[in-house]
Amino acid sequence: MAGRGSRGRAERRSAGALESEVLAALWATERPLTPAEIQHGIGGGLAYNTVHTILKRLYDKGLVLRDADGRRGAYRPAKNAAELTAEAMHEALDRGPDPIAALQQFVTGLSAEEERALRELLAGDGA
Amino acid sequence: MRFAVYAPLVLSVLLSALAGVLARRAEPALAARVLAPAAVLTAAATVWSLVLLAAALLGDVPPLVREARADGRPVTDPVPGAIGFAACLALVVVAVRLRRAVRAERNARSALRRLTAGQPAGTELIVAACEVPRAFAIPGRPGRILVTSAMLRALAPAERRVLLAHERAHLHHRHGLLVTAVTLAAAADPLLGPVRTAVVFLVERWADERAAAAVGDRRATARALARAALSAGRTGTACALQFTDRAVTRRIAALQTGPLPCLWSAALAVLALGALPALLAADATGDLLALLSGMLG
Repeated sequence: MAGRGSRGRAERRSAGALESEVLAALWATERPLTPAEIQHGIGGGLAYNTVHTILKRLYDKGLVLRDADGRRGAYRPAKNAAELTAEAMHEALDRGPDPIAALQQFVTGLSAEEERALRELLAGDGA
Repeated sequence: MRFAVYAPLVLSVLLSALAGVLARRAEPALAARVLAPAAVLTAAATVWSLVLLAAALLGDVPPLVREARADGRPVTDPVPGAIGFAACLALVVVAVRLRRAVRAERNARSALRRLTAGQPAGTELIVAACEVPRAFAIPGRPGRILVTSAMLRALAPAERRVLLAHERAHLHHRHGLLVTAVTLAAAADPLLGPVRTAVVFLVERWADERAAAAVGDRRATARALARAALSAGRTGTACALQFTDRAVTRRIAALQTGPLPCLWSAALAVLALGALPALLAADATGDLLALLSGMLG
């Protein structure tokens, strides 16, 4: 998976959007990440200090934790709140006719033929 | 009146046919923006036409007819009784369908409100620890983006940015409102079903285009879609989700070609087509009023 995070012409990202990206990066991996690793991972020319500030804000909200037994300065996402959210989501889905199917899903289902075409696309891009 | 009162039905079918073409050929933001109001206007005109046809039954009310005959006024009945009754029945069906659609919308909204309750203020992204890859935008003030941990793990960093930008575009351009509007329009006028399908597809394309612009990379956007679709397919949840025929593949293909032309002429045609049934319905209303007042003296 090529991390082509920084692609010059991207729009300037707001503080809220950056917060989402850092949180998403922490959730995307099993191991805790240091600010330097996050800075490298999400790209877009973010200053180290900016990443640090964002992490502190996420920590204050209880969305990320400092990794106690791992490396110094590494962070991991707080699982408890996310598990509660998952429960609430399943509850909403189980409640009769799927209310979330009525929403815009990022993607919907695939046929076998489509699946093959998409695999070829990803392989062709060398990503 | 004879023509005007039936015209909205014919125009609903025309609009549906045009919607399919626009969904494939036109710039998605423009196409969605004209199709949704056109559908709402057409649905309103169709319902009003049914009301007129049903009201024309009044002309058949025996006391009215007798009185009119006695006074020597002409008794013209442009709407056969059977059609009047059919219109009454259709109105009942429309009312039931609309009620059901409104209730479904309301349920979905309150389910979502429960999801966002208890989240820290000022956070955009809500993560659910869940092995099923899912992502959707939750409209509101502020709007939120819910993504499952499985979806985040499936994507590369640039692709995660695409996903967030895509959902952000849904919130920023209030796609939820557009979809709700066409859903209600299609509930009232089932002939507009294809318009709803087209608008649902178009808001996804619209968000894809905005994401591609935000990330500055159409190929990364196409890859993000492909990877998200594949990982959603792997877990076997695909059948549980709504299955839009070839929707993801068509979205990816559209990203691989350049942006589509604006087709202003087609957009204007759609708007005109949407306004026409409203004008015809107004015309038919005038006819009916004239007819009834003629009979009542």
